[in-house]
Amino acid sequence: MADNIQAPIPASNRNPFSYEKVEQISRDIVTNWLTLDEITQQLNLFQDESQDSYLESLELATRMAIEDYLGLTIFSVTYRCYYGQQQGFNSEVALDLPEVSEAGIVIDAVSYYTNDPNPVINVLPTSEYFYDPTGNRVIVTAFPNNTNAIMANPVFVEYSTNASFLAQYPVIKQAGLMLLTHIYNNRSNSTANVMHDIPWGVAQLLRPYKPLVM
Amino acid sequence: MAIARYENITVNTVTTTTTDLGDQVTSLTEWFKTRARVSDVANSLRIAERYRVYGDLVNLTLNYTPNTKLIVDDQDAYSINWRDNNWRISDCRESDDRMSITFLCYRNDPTSPV
Repeated sequence: MADNIQAPIPASNRNPFSYEKVEQISRDIVTNWLTLDEITQQLNLFQDESQDSYLESLELATRMAIEDYLGLTIFSVTYRCYYGQQQGFNSEVALDLPEVSEAGIVIDAVSYYTNDPNPVINVLPTSEYFYDPTGNRVIVTAFPNNTNAIMANPVFVEYSTNASFLAQYPVIKQAGLMLLTHIYNNRSNSTANVMHDIPWGVAQLLRPYKPLVM
Repeated sequence: MAIARYENITVNTVTTTTTDLGDQVTSLTEWFKTRARVSDVANSLRIAERYRVYGDLVNLTLNYTPNTKLIVDDQDAYSINWRDNNWRISDCRESDDRMSITFLCYRNDPTSPV
């Protein structure tokens, strides 16, 4: 089967994969990662609960910052990935995905714009594609022959990353608490004092878990 | 840097009532437990006539929160339990950046004959 799969079309950019662009279309910005109990311990507040709602908003900002820094999702994020013109009508086509999550992903939908004068979106039945976790790509087993031939990127895949088990590592949670403490104590963008990073701070704790970006 | 000295405290509300006989009754009710940075613990002795009066002072620094702001606004209505003793709030100092509040707390030991 692999021999029949169409190679990615050589693109004019330096992207070695077959996708053209990626959008983040949904992100969990509600679920708390660090618990209020952990936070109030860290900040020496304990049962002083008068700032809980403020602390929860700081916690969300902290969690998003850690996710963005590491490039991994503590909670689910949904992306839409677009592909250019494909030359594989009625044959197998591989659609590369850019994001790799340690905990895997779920393909939500594979869709394309039709060749109609006013293109509409068709969603492929799940029986016509599968996810290849070994190559981090979606393989469409019978590519439709009515995809739009004029649009720049007529095919798109929507997928969601699974919550990462790394997020429960004590060292990552500790880095989160340190970052939250920093945000809590420094609410302004500027300071009159010279500040220094401490050894073994947030960046150093997270460094082993940050994937290399080639 | 040395480890900061944080110790558990309990913040109480203080209410005073008067009995039918005219006696004043002071009641303490626990409000919340928290942790304060402890500094400048100072016990002193003063001789007054025939008695020794021991006065204890301590600085307790807490995060600036809505609760601690309430204490500043109405300091006579609150007391703090620390080291198994009850302390009244003598002075409040809000930091200029509104990040912390320092309470100077005071208590007397029972007077002793000289």
